[in-house]
Amino acid sequence: MAKRTRRVGYGLPVVLAVGVHVVALLLTMLRLPDSEVTPTSSSVVQATLVSDVTATDQAQYAEASRARNAQQQAEDQAQQQAAEAAEAEARAEAQEQARDAQAAQAREEAERRQQVAAEAAERAAAAEAEQREEAEAERQRQAEAEREEAEAERQRQAEAERKRQEEEAERQRQAEAERKRQEEEAERQRQAEAERKRQEEEAERQREAEAERKRQEEEAERQRQAEARQEQAAAEAAAAASRDALNDSIASEQERIANAQQSSQASNNFINLVKRAVEDRWHLPSNAANGLVAQVRVRLGPSGELLAASITSSSGNPSFDRSATQAVEAAAPFRELQQLDAGLQRRFRDFNLRFTPGDIQ
Amino acid sequence: MNDSMSIPHLIMNASLVVQLVMLLLLAASIASWVVIFQRSFALARARKAQKAFDERFWSGIDLNELYQDVPEQHEAQGAEHVFRAGFREFNRLVPKTRSSEAVLDGVQRSQRVALSREEDRLNANLTLLATVASASPYIGLFGTVWGIMGSFQSLSMAQQATLSTVAPWIAEALVATAMGLFAAIPAVIFYNRLSAIASRLLGDYEDFAEEFHSILHRNLQGRGSNQAA
Repeated sequence: MAKRTRRVGYGLPVVLAVGVHVVALLLTMLRLPDSEVTPTSSSVVQATLVSDVTATDQAQYAEASRARNAQQQAEDQAQQQAAEAAEAEARAEAQEQARDAQAAQAREEAERRQQVAAEAAERAAAAEAEQREEAEAERQRQAEAEREEAEAERQRQAEAERKRQEEEAERQRQAEAERKRQEEEAERQRQAEAERKRQEEEAERQREAEAERKRQEEEAERQRQAEARQEQAAAEAAAAASRDALNDSIASEQERIANAQQSSQASNNFINLVKRAVEDRWHLPSNAANGLVAQVRVRLGPSGELLAASITSSSGNPSFDRSATQAVEAAAPFRELQQLDAGLQRRFRDFNLRFTPGDIQ
Repeated sequence: MNDSMSIPHLIMNASLVVQLVMLLLLAASIASWVVIFQRSFALARARKAQKAFDERFWSGIDLNELYQDVPEQHEAQGAEHVFRAGFREFNRLVPKTRSSEAVLDGVQRSQRVALSREEDRLNANLTLLATVASASPYIGLFGTVWGIMGSFQSLSMAQQATLSTVAPWIAEALVATAMGLFAAIPAVIFYNRLSAIASRLLGDYEDFAEEFHSILHRNLQGRGSNQAA
């Protein structure tokens, strides 16, 4: 035989072995970007927590916000009331001062009035004295005139001319006296009128004083009311403070909820549990197309039992919708709900699950 | 998976012990693949040669002719080696002794030596494959354990134990196990396959040796009866 079997060398095997390793390394490096591009999701149900805020939650949030508002309002009110009280105090002070001033004024006025009255009395006395003097003088004059008349009677015949003149003068004087009297009368009337006026003024002043008193009383009343309001405000503030404690607890609860949301571990855990349980029990109908999306609203009881599973947005394929609700019904109850925080429990009492068939046929 | 988690990057960033383990495993893997290719070629060639020799041997050719056809300096392999060893011993012994049993004993002994040499040659380096197959997972596991130890040490120093502080360490530690398995799995598969081929070839050689022995025995009996006649 021309061709003899020779010993197999190591050159080619070494080259081949190194080639195998290089190829393997290249495959690991080349396949990584590929796997990056197509992330294979093994999950069949892409359940997403679409909305976890329920009616009760909203009510709760509303309550909490109301409580917070009430607190703020109470605080505001307290502040306002404090301001009002301060104002009222200031007002009361001002009123007191005003009252004092008024009293002083009234006193002054009274004094003035008394002075006026005294002056008037003096004037009246002076007028009377004058009258009396005048009357005296008249009487003396009359007596003189009588004496003169008697004398003139005696001398009448002789001095008729003079008599007439005297009579004339007498008449004139009488007229004058009459005039004076009338004048005095008028004066008296005027004085009486003035007196009346003064009395009226007095009455007016009394009325005013009364009104003032009333006003003061009213003010006192108002002050008392303000005080009462202040007390009420204080009571309300105390009540608000007690409410504050409740609000604080609510706030801390909410904070805890917020923290839980931030980490969202617990919620993710629960939603993942639910998703897995539902995925395990989901039997996709054979006629389901790939692009179907159904949204199921799931409401749970406090211990995780299923209260209702209803389609909120249908996929258009009734059997697909039915399979989704049946999967949720089969996966219930979700006992893990009991292990969650109270706040999270409330959140997950009502949530939506979105069903989309993955890449399964 | 970002760039920092790619396998070459992980290997580059691994600790020294893990890197040494990986290097050892790479060497073992390359060696095992060298052995796999070399043995595959060698055994394929040996089988082909065995088939060719079988055809020639049973084609009715004269044994002397067959023996002389092969150049002396060429080192024969496989069944041919067994044939040549036995035939040479037979040719040497026949002129010296009249006892056919002594001749057959000598032939058998020389054939046994040749068979043993062939067995050695067939199974050469297969022990390396067996060693790689059984040891490299443990070596890789050692690298992984070491890497995870490092990860926990770093975790004890970290203030916040997050997955991202542990993940790179564990990933690079797991690369060691992956490499160990990468070396071990082909080694196991090809060890089984190659040793099966080798043992089948060896069985063929032994069958041939027995048949050749019986032919020589027949010849000696015939010669003995001719001489007696």
